[in-house]
Amino acid sequence: MNVTVVLIPALPLIASLITLIFGKRYFKDKAHVLPVISLFGSFILSLFVLYDVIQGRTYNFDLYSWLVAGSLKVGLGFQVDPLSAMMCAMVTSLSFLIHVYSIGYMHGDPGYYRFFSYISLFTFSMLMLVLGNNLAQLFLGWELVGLCSYLLIGFWYEKRSAANAAIKAFVVNRIGDFGFALGIFMVFYYLGTLYYTEIFEKLPAIKNAYIEILGYEVYVPFLIAFLLFCGAMGKSAQFPLHVWLPDAMEGPTPVSALIHAATMVTAGVFMVSRLSPLYVMSDEAMAMVAFVGAITCFMAATIAPTQFDIKRVIAYSTLSQLGYMFMACGVGAFSAGMFHLFTHAYFKALLFLGAGSVIHAMHHAPDPNDIRYMGGLKKYMPITYATFLIASLSISGIPGLAGFFSKDEILAMAYFSPYPWGKAIWLIGLIVAGFTAFYTFRIFFKAFHGEFRGRSYLHGKDPHESPKVMTIPLVLISIGAIFSGWLGIPESLGGGAHFQKFLEQVVYHHEVEITDHTLEYGLMVLSVVSGLIGILLAYLIYVKNPMLETLFSSNFKKLYKFLYNKWYFDELYHYVFVIPTFFLARTFVNLIVDTFVIDQTVNGSAKATTSFGSLLQRFHNGIINYYLWGIILGLILYFVVYYYLS
Amino acid sequence: MSAQDLAFYYLGFAMILSGLFTVFSRNPVHAVLSLLVLVVHQAFMLYLLGSEFLSAIQIIVYAGAVVVLFLFVVYLINLQKEARFRVFVRRFSLGLIFFILFAFLFVKYFVLLFNMSTGLRTLLPIDPTSSQALKMMARYLFTEYLFQFELIGVILLVVVFGTVFLLRKVKEERVG
Amino acid sequence: MVDLNSYIYLSLILFVIGLFGFVFRRNIIILLACVEIMLNALIILFASISYFRKDATGYILVFFIIAMAAAEAAVGLTLAVALYKKLKKVYTEEINLFRG
Repeated sequence: MNVTVVLIPALPLIASLITLIFGKRYFKDKAHVLPVISLFGSFILSLFVLYDVIQGRTYNFDLYSWLVAGSLKVGLGFQVDPLSAMMCAMVTSLSFLIHVYSIGYMHGDPGYYRFFSYISLFTFSMLMLVLGNNLAQLFLGWELVGLCSYLLIGFWYEKRSAANAAIKAFVVNRIGDFGFALGIFMVFYYLGTLYYTEIFEKLPAIKNAYIEILGYEVYVPFLIAFLLFCGAMGKSAQFPLHVWLPDAMEGPTPVSALIHAATMVTAGVFMVSRLSPLYVMSDEAMAMVAFVGAITCFMAATIAPTQFDIKRVIAYSTLSQLGYMFMACGVGAFSAGMFHLFTHAYFKALLFLGAGSVIHAMHHAPDPNDIRYMGGLKKYMPITYATFLIASLSISGIPGLAGFFSKDEILAMAYFSPYPWGKAIWLIGLIVAGFTAFYTFRIFFKAFHGEFRGRSYLHGKDPHESPKVMTIPLVLISIGAIFSGWLGIPESLGGGAHFQKFLEQVVYHHEVEITDHTLEYGLMVLSVVSGLIGILLAYLIYVKNPMLETLFSSNFKKLYKFLYNKWYFDELYHYVFVIPTFFLARTFVNLIVDTFVIDQTVNGSAKATTSFGSLLQRFHNGIINYYLWGIILGLILYFVVYYYLS
Repeated sequence: MSAQDLAFYYLGFAMILSGLFTVFSRNPVHAVLSLLVLVVHQAFMLYLLGSEFLSAIQIIVYAGAVVVLFLFVVYLINLQKEARFRVFVRRFSLGLIFFILFAFLFVKYFVLLFNMSTGLRTLLPIDPTSSQALKMMARYLFTEYLFQFELIGVILLVVVFGTVFLLRKVKEERVG
Repeated sequence: MVDLNSYIYLSLILFVIGLFGFVFRRNIIILLACVEIMLNALIILFASISYFRKDATGYILVFFIIAMAAAEAAVGLTLAVALYKKLKKVYTEEINLFRG
C-alpha cells in the first residue's frame, strides 16, 4: 500500500470537504488557501510518483474491498503505471495553476468558498478516475466528474441559462453513461472481472465470441467497445452527444479551462486508451472511434468560425481537438492520441484562461464574451496577449511549439496506419488543421488587434491587465504549451519519442516502421502549410480587410445559417426528444398516474386505516358485557379449532 | 323407572327452569329468588348424589348466606325502583346464534372428552352409599387436601377484610 | 336410565344458561347471580362424577367450590356496591369508565 499514491486524490478531497463545511462562515475570502495548498501537495506528490514510474516502478494495489456481491469482488484500488502517472501529473499541475488563477478571477464572488470546494472535489474525482485499477472505480470517477461538472457549470445557478446548461450537460452525459454501464455489465458477464489486468488476461477468451441481438450476430468485443464508447461520446462530447459542451461555457472560465479543456472531457480518450487491447480486437470498433472523432472534428471546425462568443469558439475548438484524439485512437495510435491530449490540455487551458483574462477586463460590457466588443487589447494586456499568441500558435501546429509535434504525430500515424481508413482520417485532419488555425487566429486578431471597440461600455476607461495572481499561471502554463510537446519529438526529427515510448508500455501500439522518411517530411510540411494558410487567411480578413468579414455570411446565406446554428442539432434534439418527454411527463404521468394511481393509493390507505380504526373503536365502549362477549367468542373459536383438528 | 330417576328428572327440570327465570326476569328480586329456588333444588340433588354433608353445606352457605347477601344488596341499592325496560344488552340476538353454536360445540366436546377418559384410576376411593362415607371424606379433607382447606380459610379471612376495606368511608379528596 | 351422561348434560345445560345470562344481562347484580348459576352447574358436574366413579375427589372439590363461591359472591357484591356508591349506576352500559 503506497501512501503517497493514496494521498494524491485524498488531499483535494479533504480540502474540498473542509472548505465546503466551514467555508461560508470561517474561511470566507480565504477559502482558497486550503485547496491551493492541498493541490500543490498533490502536484508535488504526483511528480514523485511520476519519477518512480519513469524508473520503472509501477504499483497496483487495492485500498480496501469496496463491492462484494456474489462473484463480483471490486476494491477501491490504484494502478500506477505510465498512463495514469502521466495523467495524474498533468491533472494536478493544471488544477493547481487554475486554482491559483481562480483566486483572482472569482474574487468577490459570493460563492467563493463553494467554487474552490467544487473544483477541489472535481480534481479528486478526476484523480480517482485516472488512478483506478478497475472499471468500477473508473465509473465512480466518471460519475463524480459528471456531478462536479454539473455543479460548476451551474455555479451561478440563479442565472437561468446556466442552470439549464448544467442540466443539459448532466442529462446528455447520463445518456452516454447508460451505454457505459451496459458495457461494464457486459465486461463482467463475459470476463468475470472488472480489474484491468485481469480483463486483459482474459481477453483472448472472447476472441471469437458472438452474441445474437434481434436476429443479428454481433461480435462481442465490438459490442463492449461500442457500449463503453457511448460513455466516451457523452463525456468527451463527441457526435452525437456533443451538444452540451458549448452550453457548458455558462460556467466560470476557470471551470471551462479545467474541466472542459484539460481534464473531464479527456476522460473518454483516457478510457479508450486504457482499454486499447479491447478496442483493437475489433476493426469495427476502431473504425467507429475514428469516424466519430472525424465527424466531430470536422463539424466543430466548421461551426467555430461563425461564433462570436470567445468562449464558445474555444469550446468548439476543444470538440475539434478531441476529435483528433479519437481519430488517433481509431487508427491504432493510442499513444499519439494521449500525446495530443497532453499537449492540448496545456494550450487549451491557456486559451481559456487567456479568454478569461480578457473577459475579466471586459466585464462592464453588455456581453463580456463577445469579440465584437473587443479589439486592440494588445497594448492594454501585454501578458495575456503574449500567452494567448503562444497558445494560438501551438494549436495551429507551428513548428517548435507543442501542438505541432502532437498533431503531426497523429497525422503521420494516420497516414501510415495499417487500417484502411487511415488515409481518409489523415486528409480530414489536414483540412481541419487549416480550419483550426483560421478560427483561432480569427478571435486572436479580433480581440487583440485593431481598435478597441468597447470603449463606450467601459465608461471611457481603458481595459487593464489582470492581476498577477492570474497572469502568473498564464505564464507558467504557456511554458507547458511550448515544451510539453518536446517530450515527444519523433525520431525522424532528432528526438527520442520519449513520451510515446513511455506510454507504449501500457497502451497498445502498432509496430509501425515509417520507412519512407521523405514522405513523412512531406506530410509534416503539408500540415504546417495548412496551418499557415489558416493564419494568413485570418490575417487578411480580420486585420487587413475587415470588409471581407461578411463576405461568406452574405453570399452563402443558407450555409452560413446552418453553420451558425450549430448544424441545427439543438433544434433536432429538442423536437425529437425533449418535447415528447415533456409531453409524456406532463400529461400522462402527471395527470393520470400521479392523480389516479398514486394519490388514490396514499389516500386510500389512510382511509382504510381510519375505517379499520373506527371499526375497532366500537369494541372499546367500556361496556363489560361486550368484553365478556369477546372472551366467549375466543373460547368458541378455540373449541372449533380443537374440535375440527382432532 | 326408579325413584331416583324420577327425582333426577324433576330436579333437573326445576333447576333449568329456575335458571331460565333468573336469567330472563326483569325484576331483580325475582331473579334472586329464582336463584334461591335453584340452590335449594341443587341441595336436594347433592343429597341424591350421595353426600348429605354437602347438601347441608349447600343449604347453609349458598341458600343461607349467598342468596341472602344478594337480596340485601338488591334492597340496599334500591334496585327495584331502577328496573328498566331492557333486560339484555343491545344487539344480543346475533350473539344468541353464536351462543347456541358454542353450546353445541361445548357439549359435544366435553362429552367426547369424557368418554375418552374412562381409563382413569380412582384417586380417593369412597363408597358414597355406605355409612362411612362422611368419615372417609373428612379424612381425605384433612389429610390429602389439608393445605387447600387451610387456604380456603385464609381466603375467607381476606374476603372479610376486603369487604370492610372496600366499603369504608373515604375522604372526599382521595376520590380518584 | 339415568347415568353419568345425563348428569353431565344437565350440568352443561345449566352452565350454558348461566353463561348466557352472564354475557348478556345489563344489571350487574344479576350478572353476579348468573355466575352463581354457573358455579352450581359445576357442583353438579363434580358431584355426579364423584358419585358414579366412587371417587371422593369430586366431593372435596364441591366443598371447595361452595366455599369459593361464597367468597367470590361477597367480594363481587362489595365491588358492585362500591361502584354504585361512586357512580350511582348499576347498568353495565352506563358504566363506561373503561371506554376507549
